[in-house]
Amino acid sequence: MKNRKHKSDLAILFSTLGLMALGLIIIYAIGPMRANVLNNTYGTDYDSNFFFLGQLRSVGLSLVAFFLAFKVIPYQYIKKYAKPLMIISLILSALLWVLALSGSSLAKCELGECRWYNLGPVSFQPAELLKLSLVIYLADFLARKREEGNIGKWQEFWLPLLIVCGASLFLVVIAQGDLGTGVALIAIIFGMLLVSGVPTRQYLIMVALVLAIAVGAVVTSSHRMERVNAWLDTLTGQESSDSTYHVENAMLAIGTGGLTGVGIGNSVQATGYLPESINDSVFAIMGETFGFIGLFLVLAVFGAMLIRMLKVAEHTANNNDRLFITGVFAWTLAQVVVNIAAMTSLVPVTGITLPLLSYGGTSMVFIAFALGLVLQLSCYTSREGIKHEDISSRGRLRGAHHASRRRSS
Amino acid sequence: MSRNKKPSQNSSSSTSRRINILKNLVFCSLAIIAVRLFFIQIIEHDAWVARADKEHTLLETITAKRGEIYMMDSNEPVAVVLNQTTYQIIIDPAMTEKEKIKAALEAYAKDYISIDLDEIYNHEGLRYAIVAKNVPRSAAEKIANEEISAVWFSKNNQRVYPEGELASGLLGFVNADGLGQYGVEGSLNALLAGEDGLLKTTADVNKVALSIGKDNIKIPAKDGENVVLSIDRGLERGVEEITSKHINNTAATHAAALVMNPNTGEVIAMASLPNYDPGNYGHVEDASAYINQVTEVPYEPASTCKSFAFSAAINEGVMNADTTYFNQGYEIIDDNKIMNAEQRSSLYGTINMKTALYWSLNTGSIYALKLLGGNPSEINATGREKLYDYYYNKFRLGQATGIELIEAEGFIWDPHADIYGLNAAYANMTFGQNLSLTMIQTATAYSAVVNGGYWRTPTVVKGLLADGEIAPMKSTENKIEDKILSDETSATMRDMFINNRNYKARAGIDRAGYDVGGKSGTAQVIKNGAYDDTMSETVGTYIGFVAPSGGMPEYVIMVKMLGDGQYLDGGIASNLFDDISNYLIDYLKIKPGV
Repeated sequence: MKNRKHKSDLAILFSTLGLMALGLIIIYAIGPMRANVLNNTYGTDYDSNFFFLGQLRSVGLSLVAFFLAFKVIPYQYIKKYAKPLMIISLILSALLWVLALSGSSLAKCELGECRWYNLGPVSFQPAELLKLSLVIYLADFLARKREEGNIGKWQEFWLPLLIVCGASLFLVVIAQGDLGTGVALIAIIFGMLLVSGVPTRQYLIMVALVLAIAVGAVVTSSHRMERVNAWLDTLTGQESSDSTYHVENAMLAIGTGGLTGVGIGNSVQATGYLPESINDSVFAIMGETFGFIGLFLVLAVFGAMLIRMLKVAEHTANNNDRLFITGVFAWTLAQVVVNIAAMTSLVPVTGITLPLLSYGGTSMVFIAFALGLVLQLSCYTSREGIKHEDISSRGRLRGAHHASRRRSS
Repeated sequence: MSRNKKPSQNSSSSTSRRINILKNLVFCSLAIIAVRLFFIQIIEHDAWVARADKEHTLLETITAKRGEIYMMDSNEPVAVVLNQTTYQIIIDPAMTEKEKIKAALEAYAKDYISIDLDEIYNHEGLRYAIVAKNVPRSAAEKIANEEISAVWFSKNNQRVYPEGELASGLLGFVNADGLGQYGVEGSLNALLAGEDGLLKTTADVNKVALSIGKDNIKIPAKDGENVVLSIDRGLERGVEEITSKHINNTAATHAAALVMNPNTGEVIAMASLPNYDPGNYGHVEDASAYINQVTEVPYEPASTCKSFAFSAAINEGVMNADTTYFNQGYEIIDDNKIMNAEQRSSLYGTINMKTALYWSLNTGSIYALKLLGGNPSEINATGREKLYDYYYNKFRLGQATGIELIEAEGFIWDPHADIYGLNAAYANMTFGQNLSLTMIQTATAYSAVVNGGYWRTPTVVKGLLADGEIAPMKSTENKIEDKILSDETSATMRDMFINNRNYKARAGIDRAGYDVGGKSGTAQVIKNGAYDDTMSETVGTYIGFVAPSGGMPEYVIMVKMLGDGQYLDGGIASNLFDDISNYLIDYLKIKPGV
């Protein structure tokens, strides 16, 4: 059943916009330093406003995507195309791999990893589209299987699921060497599976299986082993080395921030000491700039946003919609937690952006689009949500009061 | 219906439960991160700040510019020691630009290549090699314009001595650490070096200073002073040329010459030969070449010292030029038989002091010592005390003079020293043995003898050059001027010195219109702790003055010649003196008297 439309979830709306604004401010402060470092080190000729203007463009595009998803394109329309969207995404990633292997200039590579399409002045990362498509596809797939009562069955459920997920992971992790996106994909898959109604036993077996594969992948690769060792080194305070440089400098930035931070424009770590200062390490620069108080607030904003997403999911009656929201939640959570945990040396560095804050166009546009859809769905929650099937727990859950008020009037 | 509802209810409540698991996951993971951040940012904050300081702080010395050294030429200062910026060219052989580098080096810095390029490239894994040194700026710039990424430059501040070896013993050199060694470079190092500044600043990863940071410090460098020497460049060159000609024509291997103005204490020429190239100081075969023989080497002054013993007795009023004594050719003191070097029979018997000084008779100066003690027939404590008072306190012999150079002190026996034969030692001291002095001490004391009795601190520094003006240097302001002899004593001594050179004047060596006086010295050398009586090795010295006839001395000249195992006497040294004094008259255009 479809609920009547009501106001969207303001927490998600304002946290999204707030984080985008914060990202702009921080890039405005450290962009010139980044340009300066690159110009001095590689003899490039970046204007000091280059990165700020880039981020401004990304935020602009993301806002367009966000409001298109929020107000213009109905999710009910998008989900009809779940399958073709997934196929197109897989083809785009596969095509990139073929182009990279054939050495085409259309594939843009950095440090030996080819993750971008080179489209003249802009570049496009198909893995970001793949994440969104996978969320949409799995929501459709899992909801359908549940309706059919096929959840947990090998041939009807697990086999097609494994094929789609396996193909996605292969293209992202193996072909594009993008472990960070791989982690996000796995989080999306398991987050959505969890609320799809898969039997607990099967779910735990799958978790164990993936963990075993992950451990196997680490120990069989010297390059991945090195990352893990570097992580263990920084965690245990061993001597610095090239491989611990990134995390050590991230922690140096965070540590020097103290309680209140050094203030905007006073970051020293951003002047070239900290690699990826505007992308993956932007959280560390924020730690230096705004201190513990600032980071705590950022965490609180992300936390509020994530919890509100779950609330919306909980109060969404439609299975497919709920699964979609869970997917976006898992995507956001994975990126936030894995990025920050890596910067604080809680987990090894995987190379993952911090949603809405890191410099970078494609990733921001897609997550903004996904959040826009979540916001759209937040307009259709009901007091009952799941409970409209679940009478026993009626009244126990709060949230979206305004919506219920309107309904009762 | 109710049967159908059951599984749906179950699945719904399970979905709700599972969403709760996700909520807990959010709380747990964010809580762990928050605790971790608290740990890093609050608890470990100070440690991270300390580490950041270490990594972000750029400490850079701002090198002070070393002062230049000037000599005088026609009353104008001219630079004789300059600074030049040169470059070392360094390459990274791991980068393959060999041909480009080779071509550039050979085109612009061929003379400065310090290593075989091919050899460097055969070295596996080498990332750093100095391929050329002392490359001038212009050549380095041309190579830099080639923009070869494997090439970089290291700046050096090099000391340049445009006059080559001129006055090397006086100037000294600057070593590879930038420290002045020997000569003026050594003695005035602090003044010349200035004070390095310090830059302490927060820097970016490329070591470029940032304006961020609270503790940035910039102490500017204080450049070294430009020192103007009182040395006349042309005269110095002339004196060195003449002296080295005399080294070539005699058995001498080393010689030193000094020209000073007795009325000011200013040294206007100071040669210590053989010279060396201060710009290539490492190529010197014998490190003794670095030593300035005028100020750093004590020696026994021999008979030149009679000037001081005679002055003392005359100034005390116990003797004059006509005072007579009985010369038997020797004296026995403390069981030591002290002989005169000159034993011609015509000198035996009663002679006056003028004659004794002319023939440089040791018995004459011993007699002066006896007169100082008030008893013409013995040397006593009073005499020793008086002589010591003149030698040490008035002439300041055996003490550093205070010239702006590295100085040796020398040695003089205390008049009450607890040694056997103290009287004999004092007898020896009247004719310049049993004591050691430096040339500068001798010349300064001699200047006092002839200039009217004023002991003046000698100096080689005219002042400090700044903005084209020569300002006095602090130490030259604190000069001593001490009247130690009466005008009459000085006049008597001048007459006797002029008398000493009568034969030179008669031979036309000393020119008409000038009063040239002097005293020779032939010093025995102590070998293995005893005088070598065979006189197989002696040091020849001569000291004298040049004055317009009837006028006061304008210049004092002192020379010293020596050679290992060679006999060099005052006569040989006097020939060098003659050439220098005549050159001086011409060069300085000293006006003749009437």
